[in-house]
Amino acid sequence: MPILDFLLPKGEKKQKVILLGSGALSIGQAGEFDYSGSQAVKALEEEGLDVIIINPNIASVQTNRGVNKKVYLYPITPFWVEKIIKIEKPAAIISSFGGQTSLNCVIALEKSGVLKKYGVKVLGTQVSALEMSEDRELFAQKMKSIDAPIAKSHAVSTVKEALETAEQIGYPVITRSAFALGGLGSGFAKTAAELKKLTQAALMSSPQVLIEKSLHGWKEIEYEVMRDKTGNTITICNMENFDPMGIHTGDSIVIAPCQTINNIENNMLRDMAIKIAHSVGIVGECNVQYALNPNDYGFYVIEINARLSRSSALASKATGYPIAYIAAKIVIGFDLLDLKNPVTGTTSAFYEPSLDYVTLKVPRWDLNKFSGVSKNLGTQMKSVGEVMAIGRNFCEVMQKALRMVNENEDGITVNVFKDASDEDIEKELLSPTNLRVFAIYETFKRGKTLEYAYEKTKIDYWFLSHILYLANIETELLSFFETKVKKDIVAAQELYDAYKQIPKDRMQRLKSMGFSDFQLTKIYLSACLNSKIKLSIKEIRSLSFAVRKLRKKLGILPVVKQIDTTSSEYPTKSNYLYLTYDGIHSDMSSKKNEKSIITLGSGSYRIGSSLEFDWCSVMTSSYFKNKKNDSVIINCNPETVSTDYSASDRLYFEELSFERVLDIIDIETPKGVIACMGGQNPNNLIQPLSEAKVNILGHSQKSVDAAEDREKFSAMLDKLGIDQPEWTSAVSLDDIEEFIKKVGFPVLIRPSFVLSGTLMNVASDKQSLDYYLSLTKDISVDFPVVISKFILDAKEIECDGVAKGGEVILSLVSEHIENAGVHSGDATMVFPAQKIYARTVNVIKDIVRKIVKGLDLNGPFNIQFIAKDNDVKVIECNARASRSFPFISKVSGVNFAELACKVMNDEKVKKILIDESEIPYVGVKASMFSFQRLDGADPVVGVEMASTGEVGCLGEKFNHAMYLSMEATQIRKPKKGILLSTGREKDKVKFMEVMDNLYKLGVPVYATKGSAKYLEDRGYSVNTVHWNRSPRAVDIIIDGKVDFVININKNLSVDELHNNSEIRKIAVKCGCSILTNLEKAMAYLRAYDSYNELQNIEKCISL
Amino acid sequence: MERAKKILNEKYKKAYLKLSNGVKLEGNAVGADVSVSGEMVFNTGMLGYSEAMTDPSYLGQILVFSFCLIGNYGIPALKDGNLFMSKGHESSSIKTQGIIVSDIYDGCYHHDGGSSLEDWMKKQDVPGISGIDTRYLVQMIRENRNLSGRIVPEGAKPQDKNKFEFLKNFKNNEYIDPAKYNLMPSVSTKERVILWKGLKKVAVIDCGAKWNIMRMLAERDCEVELLPWDSDFSEVKCDGWVISNGPGDPKNTGDLVERIKKDVLSLDKPILGICLGHQLLSLASGAKTKRLNHGHRSHNQPVFSLPEKKAYMSSQNHRYAVEKSSIQSGWELWFENANDNSVEGLRHKTKPFMSVQFHPEASSGPNDTSWIMDEFVNLL
Repeated sequence: MPILDFLLPKGEKKQKVILLGSGALSIGQAGEFDYSGSQAVKALEEEGLDVIIINPNIASVQTNRGVNKKVYLYPITPFWVEKIIKIEKPAAIISSFGGQTSLNCVIALEKSGVLKKYGVKVLGTQVSALEMSEDRELFAQKMKSIDAPIAKSHAVSTVKEALETAEQIGYPVITRSAFALGGLGSGFAKTAAELKKLTQAALMSSPQVLIEKSLHGWKEIEYEVMRDKTGNTITICNMENFDPMGIHTGDSIVIAPCQTINNIENNMLRDMAIKIAHSVGIVGECNVQYALNPNDYGFYVIEINARLSRSSALASKATGYPIAYIAAKIVIGFDLLDLKNPVTGTTSAFYEPSLDYVTLKVPRWDLNKFSGVSKNLGTQMKSVGEVMAIGRNFCEVMQKALRMVNENEDGITVNVFKDASDEDIEKELLSPTNLRVFAIYETFKRGKTLEYAYEKTKIDYWFLSHILYLANIETELLSFFETKVKKDIVAAQELYDAYKQIPKDRMQRLKSMGFSDFQLTKIYLSACLNSKIKLSIKEIRSLSFAVRKLRKKLGILPVVKQIDTTSSEYPTKSNYLYLTYDGIHSDMSSKKNEKSIITLGSGSYRIGSSLEFDWCSVMTSSYFKNKKNDSVIINCNPETVSTDYSASDRLYFEELSFERVLDIIDIETPKGVIACMGGQNPNNLIQPLSEAKVNILGHSQKSVDAAEDREKFSAMLDKLGIDQPEWTSAVSLDDIEEFIKKVGFPVLIRPSFVLSGTLMNVASDKQSLDYYLSLTKDISVDFPVVISKFILDAKEIECDGVAKGGEVILSLVSEHIENAGVHSGDATMVFPAQKIYARTVNVIKDIVRKIVKGLDLNGPFNIQFIAKDNDVKVIECNARASRSFPFISKVSGVNFAELACKVMNDEKVKKILIDESEIPYVGVKASMFSFQRLDGADPVVGVEMASTGEVGCLGEKFNHAMYLSMEATQIRKPKKGILLSTGREKDKVKFMEVMDNLYKLGVPVYATKGSAKYLEDRGYSVNTVHWNRSPRAVDIIIDGKVDFVININKNLSVDELHNNSEIRKIAVKCGCSILTNLEKAMAYLRAYDSYNELQNIEKCISL
Repeated sequence: MERAKKILNEKYKKAYLKLSNGVKLEGNAVGADVSVSGEMVFNTGMLGYSEAMTDPSYLGQILVFSFCLIGNYGIPALKDGNLFMSKGHESSSIKTQGIIVSDIYDGCYHHDGGSSLEDWMKKQDVPGISGIDTRYLVQMIRENRNLSGRIVPEGAKPQDKNKFEFLKNFKNNEYIDPAKYNLMPSVSTKERVILWKGLKKVAVIDCGAKWNIMRMLAERDCEVELLPWDSDFSEVKCDGWVISNGPGDPKNTGDLVERIKKDVLSLDKPILGICLGHQLLSLASGAKTKRLNHGHRSHNQPVFSLPEKKAYMSSQNHRYAVEKSSIQSGWELWFENANDNSVEGLRHKTKPFMSVQFHPEASSGPNDTSWIMDEFVNLL
C-alpha cells in the first residue's frame, strides 16, 4: 500500500490526522468546504486513519460524530489548533480542505514553529508553496521563472504609490489586496479619484495592495488541476465565465466545460496549468485562473488556488469526478494510478472526464436584504449561494438555472425589465447588477442586435446569440397566440387547444430549449389575457396542467441521463442523474420501486436557508439509504454534501420546481416524498404536490397550511387560549392607524412579499412608520400589510421538536441572548437555556403540546416564543425542520433529523425525555455576518435576517461557549482601543454591569458624547468623540485607534439608525470587531470573566 | 443552435441515420445535400472537431461527436500552402464521410474562425445530422461490435464516387466497412514532396499523415520529405523515418509492411511509428494486430510509461491494436493503456526504433506526449 511511511501502523496504534474546516459560512467561503471536507473524511477513514476535525461550523456534515472521528467545535485559529495538537498528538495536519481560513492557519502554525515543535507533518502541498501562491509578489516571480505571462502587477503600500503606479501602467486599473478571500479589498478604477478611494479602503485591512492593468472584457477561464507526488498530472475540468473579466468569478455565471474557445486555446491554457502545478509543487488539487484575449491567442495567468475551492466543488459536480476525495487520497500518499475512477469503478483515476452535456452555474444574490448595498457587480464577491443546471444545450441550462436560482417557475422570460426604459436597460448592460442576463434578454426582445449587446457587455457572441434565440422564440409565440380582443378569462381547455396547434416536433423543441409548462402558459396568457388581470402563481400553475396534459399525450417527456465521466465510452452504473428534453433515450428505465423515498433538498444557499438544511437533507437521505429504501435526492446546489452522489441511492441534480419534481415522481413512482427537511423552499411545494395526489410524508398539507396561514394559526391559538402578540392584516392606511391607536408603538410591519424591495421593519414612531410605508407601493386587499405589536425588552425562546400523530415525541427549549426584535436566524442561541425560569419552560412545553395537538403535527417542528414578565406569547410555528436542528442535535446528542425520519417512515417511536441539566456542556450558536464584503451595508441586526452563516461552540460554562462562538465569528478581543455608543439611558445603566470587564482590558476607551458623559460622571476615564466635529468618531476608526466597536441604537427610529450607521459602516470597512446589540455585547464582555480560565484550559470538549 | 431562427414556421430539412442493426434515427439535415455510408465511430473529445474531421484516419467513417454542442468556434481559416498558418486543419479537406451531432452552432464569431462549420461542410460536400441523441448512439456503437450507418437527407443525391479512391469498391446505399479495403491510395500523397529544408532530414511515409506531425518536425529544425505509401523507400536518403498515422486495418495495406521491413527496418536509422504507423512497424517486426471492440477515440486516454513509471493523457483515434503476446524479442513494451492495459507503445531494446499507438502530435487533444518528438529528433 503506497501510503507515506509515517502512516504505516506502529503496532496496533492508529495514526491521527487533523483536518481543518473553514468555519462559519460567509460570502466567499461557503458550503463548498463542507462538501470537500466530508469527502476528505470519507477518504481518510477508508484508509483506517483517525480523523480529528477542527471546525466550529456545527451545521456541517463533517462535524457529525463518527466512529473513527473526533470533532472539535473550536475557532480555527493558531491558538486553538495548537491546543488541540497538544491534546491529540496527531501525526499530521491537512490544510487544503478548509478554504482560505485553514490555509492561513496552517501557514501561521508553520511559521511560528508550532508544527515542528509537536512533530506534525503538513500533508499535501507544502507550506512554502502555499505561501508562494498567496503572496502576489512571490507568485509573480515564480510565474516569470517559468515564462507564464502575468498582467503587470505592482505592490504598493501607500495611496501615493498607487497613483504613481497607475500613471505608469495606464488606466483602467484594478486593485486587489494580498491574503484575502473572495476578492476583498478589490476594485476597478477608471480615474485617479476612483483609485484613491479604493486604495484608501483597501490599505486599512491589508498592508499591501496590488495595482494591475485592467483586462476588462477578456474571457475568464479556469482549470482544475490534480497532481500526485510523483508528478502525474491531469486537468479535471475547464470552466468559462459567461461574464468576461471584471466580475468576480464567484459572481459570474459559469459554464463548464468551456464553450467559446477552440482546441488550440484549450491546450495552450491546459499546458500552462500543468506547468504551473509542476513548478509550484502541488500535491493534491489546485485551480488556475486565466484571462484570455478574445481577439488573439494572448493570455495572462490571474491567480492560482493551491487548495480545494468553490471552483473545485463546482468542477466535481459538473464532471462527476470526486476531486476532493481523490485529492485526499493523494495527500496521504497515493498516486493517481493506484486509484480507480469511483464513478466507473473499473477505469483509472488518472483520467480527464469527458462530458456529453453542459453545466451552468448561476450565483444567488440576496442584495435586497442589505439596504445601502450597491447592486452592481464587480471584483468583490457579493453572492451568497449558487445553483448548477445540467442539460444538453445552452438554452436549456440557462433557463433551468434561472428557475433554480430565483424560486420561480419562469426561466429567462420572467420579464424583470419589461417596464424599464431603453436607457435603464443600456445602463444595466454597461454596469451590470445581478439582473443583467434579463436585461440582455429584454434588449433583444426590443429588437436590438447582437452587435449592440456585444458592444455593451463584451459577453461572447456565442452566449448572446443563444439568448437572442430564446427572445425570438418568445416573440414568435406571442405573435402566434396574439388576439385582437383581450380576454378576461382563459380556460385550461383553451390553453390546451392553443398549444395543440403547434406541431409535435416544435413542441419538443420548445421543451428542449428549456421552456417550462408554467412559462409556456404565461406566454400564452400575456398574448391574449387582458393585461389588467393578474393571476396568482397558484392559478397559473393550475392552468399549466393543460400544457402538461398535452405534452404527455404527445409523448413529449424528459429523459434521464447519467453523469458518468466518460461520455458513455465505458458502461457505468452511475447514480448521478439529470433530466433533459434534448434526447430520446433514458439511461435509467422507469421502474416501480415500492420502497423509494424522495427527499427534496434546499436548493441554493441564501440568507435564511443555508448549510443547516443541507445537513437535514443529508441526514434524511442517509437514514433511508441505511434502511435499504431506495433513497432519492433532488437538489441543484453544487456546494452541498447532499449532491454528492454517495449521499443517496440516486441523485437527481435537478430543479426543485413543481413541474420537474412531478416529472421525477412520474419516473420514480416513489413510496413517498419528504419536503419538510430542506427548509422553506421545498416546504412550499407541499401544497401543490399534495393537490397533485403525491404522497407527502410527515405533516399533512392541512397541518402545514394551518401553521403557515396567519389567520388560521391565530384563530387556533385563540381557541386553545394561547397568547400571541396582537396583530392585524391591514388592507388600508386607515386599518393601520386604527390598529396602532389600539396597541401603540412600536409595531412590526411586514409587507406582502410581492411588493419587493421592502423589508420587514419595526416602526417606533409615526415618522418611521410613514417612512417604511412609503417604501411599499400600495396597500390593498391583494397586497395586505401584516402589522403586529412589537414587544420591547422581551426574551425570545425557541422550541425544536419532533411530533407523531399530534403528540410530542421530543422537544427541547433554547433561548436567545438578544431580546426579541433580532431575527431568529441572526440571534445568538443558547442550549440548554440558562436564563429561563423552570416555570416558563413548563408553560412553554404545555403550549407546545397544545399546538402540536391542535395542528396534528406529524414530523419535525419549531415554535418561537416571546416571554416578558412571565407572560409567554407565541410568534410562529414552522411545521418543518428548522435552522437549529443540527445545533440542538449535536449539543443534546439526539439526532432530531433521524428521529423525524423515523416518524415520517411510520416506525414505532417512544417519547424521549431529556433532562437538560444533565447535558455536560453549554452550546452557543452565533451568527456570522458578511458585512465586510458588502460595501455600504449597515451592520445593524434587526427583524430581517442578514447573517450568512453560523457557528456553534461548546463550553463547560456558558462564558466559555460564548467567548468561543464570538471568536469563531470574528469578534476579536480589542487590542488597540474601543469605541462605545451605549444607546438609551436605560441601556447605559444596564451596561455599567460589564463596564469593569471592559476597562480591565487596559486599552483606550472612546465614547460618543452621551455615553462618554455617563462614564465620566461615574469616574471612568474616557475620550469623548463627536459626530461632526473633531475628534470625530469615524476618524478614530479610520486612523486605526480602535479595533472594537460597540454601537447600540437608542431606538429604531429612522434618524437614530441613520446617525449611527456611518460609524458602523466605517468600522466594518476597517475590519473592526463590531457588536450592535446590547444583550449580546454584555454577554460577550461578561465572558471575559472566564477568559484566563478558558485560555489555560487543558481539555477541549470534543464530540 | 439550429440553423432555423424560427421555431414555429420555418421548415427543417429532415435527415435519417440508418444503421446496420436496423435502427433508424431522425434528425435535421446539416451540411451538404448528399447521402453517404460509413463505419460508425464516436469521439468523446469535447473540442477539436475541425482537427478530427480533417484527420485522414477518419476516412470512410461517420463520426459521432458525443459532446452535445459542436461548431461553437467555427472553422479556422485554411491558409493554402501554409501548414503553420492553418492550425486546426490536419489535412487539406474533410476526411470523414459525415458527422452526427446533437446540436450544431450556425455562427462563427471566434477571432480565428474562417467560416461556420456548416458552410465548410457544404463547400466540401459533406453531410451531417443534428438533433440526434448522441449519448444513446454512442452506447449503441459501444454495444454493437461492427456498426455501419448511412446518412440519408431527404431527397439527397448520392455521394460522388470520385471523391476518394476507396468509394469505388462500394455500391450506393450499401452499408460499408471501409477497413476491408486498402485505404492508402485514398489518403497518401501522390508524389514525393520536400516540405521544407532543415538540419536533419526526416522521411515521412504518408499513410494519411496529420499535418501537425510535419509541423512539429519543422519546429524541431527538421527537413521533411513526404513519401507516397507505394514509393520505393530504398531510394530515399534521410536521417530518420516517421511512419504516419492513417485509416483502416494495418493488414490491408498491400505490400507496405513487407517494404517497411525490407527497406526501412533494415537500415537501423531512427524510426518513429505513430498510430497506424505503430501498427505497421509492429507487423514488420513480426508482431500481430487485432481489431478492438470500438477502439479509442478521445482526448483522455491514460497511457502509462513502464520505464518511467509515469502516466500521460493522450489523444487517440484507432480501432486496431498490437497484441501484447505477440511482441517480438528485441522489443519491449513502452506504454500501456491505464484503463484496459492494451499496448500503447513499443521500443526496440537496442536499436533506435519506437512507436506509439497514441498521437504525440495531438491536434486535437492534449500535448502531454510531445516530448516523444523531441526524443525522436534527438536520435537523428
